[in-house]
Amino acid sequence: MNPEQPNNLSEYQYDYQRIVDQIYQKEDFDFVGIAMQSQAPPHSIKWSFVAGNSNERFRKIVLRSGIGIAGLVIRTGKPFWDNDLTNYEYSSKMYTPIAQSERLQTAAAVPITNNLGLIDGVLLAGYHTNTTVSNQTAQILSQYL
Amino acid sequence: MLETTQWINDYFDESSDAIMIFKDTQLIVSNHMAKELQDELKMNPQYLVEIADSSAKQKFSSTDDCFNCIIQNKMKQISIPITLAKEMPHPLPYFMIYNVIDSEKHVFSLTLKSRGTINRMDQLAQQRKLTQYVNRAYEDERKRISEDLHDSIAQGVYSAIMGVRRLNDSEVSQDEIKKLTEVIQSQLNDTLTEVKRMALDVRPSVLDSFGLLAALRVLAKRLQENSGVTIDVIGNADTSGLSSDIQSVFYRIAQEAINNALKHANAEEISILLVSHNHFITLEVIDDGDGFDVPAHQTFNGHSLGLMNMNERVKALNGAFNIKSVKNEGTTVTVKFPIA
Repeated sequence: MNPEQPNNLSEYQYDYQRIVDQIYQKEDFDFVGIAMQSQAPPHSIKWSFVAGNSNERFRKIVLRSGIGIAGLVIRTGKPFWDNDLTNYEYSSKMYTPIAQSERLQTAAAVPITNNLGLIDGVLLAGYHTNTTVSNQTAQILSQYL
Repeated sequence: MLETTQWINDYFDESSDAIMIFKDTQLIVSNHMAKELQDELKMNPQYLVEIADSSAKQKFSSTDDCFNCIIQNKMKQISIPITLAKEMPHPLPYFMIYNVIDSEKHVFSLTLKSRGTINRMDQLAQQRKLTQYVNRAYEDERKRISEDLHDSIAQGVYSAIMGVRRLNDSEVSQDEIKKLTEVIQSQLNDTLTEVKRMALDVRPSVLDSFGLLAALRVLAKRLQENSGVTIDVIGNADTSGLSSDIQSVFYRIAQEAINNALKHANAEEISILLVSHNHFITLEVIDDGDGFDVPAHQTFNGHSLGLMNMNERVKALNGAFNIKSVKNEGTTVTVKFPIA
């Protein structure tokens, strides 16, 4: 278990670490992560549960709503995927820090909603290699939630 | 026709370059400037011919000992850097240009161009490029702010307004109202974060109220959160005595250097050191990234004007600016300012 998970874990209906591990084992993704919004101000969104990580940089990342594929999922509540993540400059709106730190070339992300139907977080999975992701990848991910 | 010839003659004679025309190593004509140099600096035309000859041979080492062969090599021009009046207190740097006029008859010219003038032109061109760059950067910045305002802030506020409108709808159930309220709150929260981020980007108020070190810490924390790259600020410097100009330059250079490291260097860790000494204060931004070839980036290639601009800003305030980079080991940017 990751030591930096949100304090009020009891509020979560699922054991997200178990989901992340399960996806990592059953599918062929190189990296799987879940970022959750903290219940306490300033409500920052961090990668709290990961599998397949190649370093610890994910702990330092704070997601920005609307920036990068994970940020877009948070902002819009819709799944997103991208097959050329290495293409974005640091100043780009599509720059995805987790893709950079985990060297992901392609990744898909789906929203995690709470019982009120509000977006609480994001589930992202990706590849180091040029493995194409699509709407289907997003659907596979959604099935685990 | 006669008039035209006269103009060409005038141009030749009044040129600020010294021009000499030779046939078979014999000086045939020279202009006013060349005669002046000959008189005042005891410049010997034969000496110049020898220099041109040997430098032509250096370039075409397969040639024999004759001008013909050089001409056979189809060489039209060579430029040779040369210094006149070497023994005098103010030596004069020149470029000598060797130019073949008539290869059959062995007629060629030697032109001396003052390097001082050329350097000045270079500086002027450089200055213009820099001004252009600064202007463009300024416009780009405004464009980015405008886009951010429109895309993030306006969008967020608009969504919140729509949400509030729906709250007034009589058909909305209690449950839905609860949900809507949460949505609106989170939208406004995002917008607030965004506004704060933009304000920080435009001008860090921390810099004015809490000083450089605090501002660097805020900057480092935010960029660390955006990238996952560890960014540490180490320092003991008391910056309260620094002029706000110098503080701003320090801050902007740290910002630019970190951004460069994040953009190009694939750094794992970036350290910012701000240390004051007895009579100077230094800022160092050290990354452990890919490193790059510094000289190759110091001339104009479109991307490196950022570096030059940093340098200019520091020089304008009597500081010193330095970049050291080793391939695969990382880059260190150092700025030093004298303090009273």
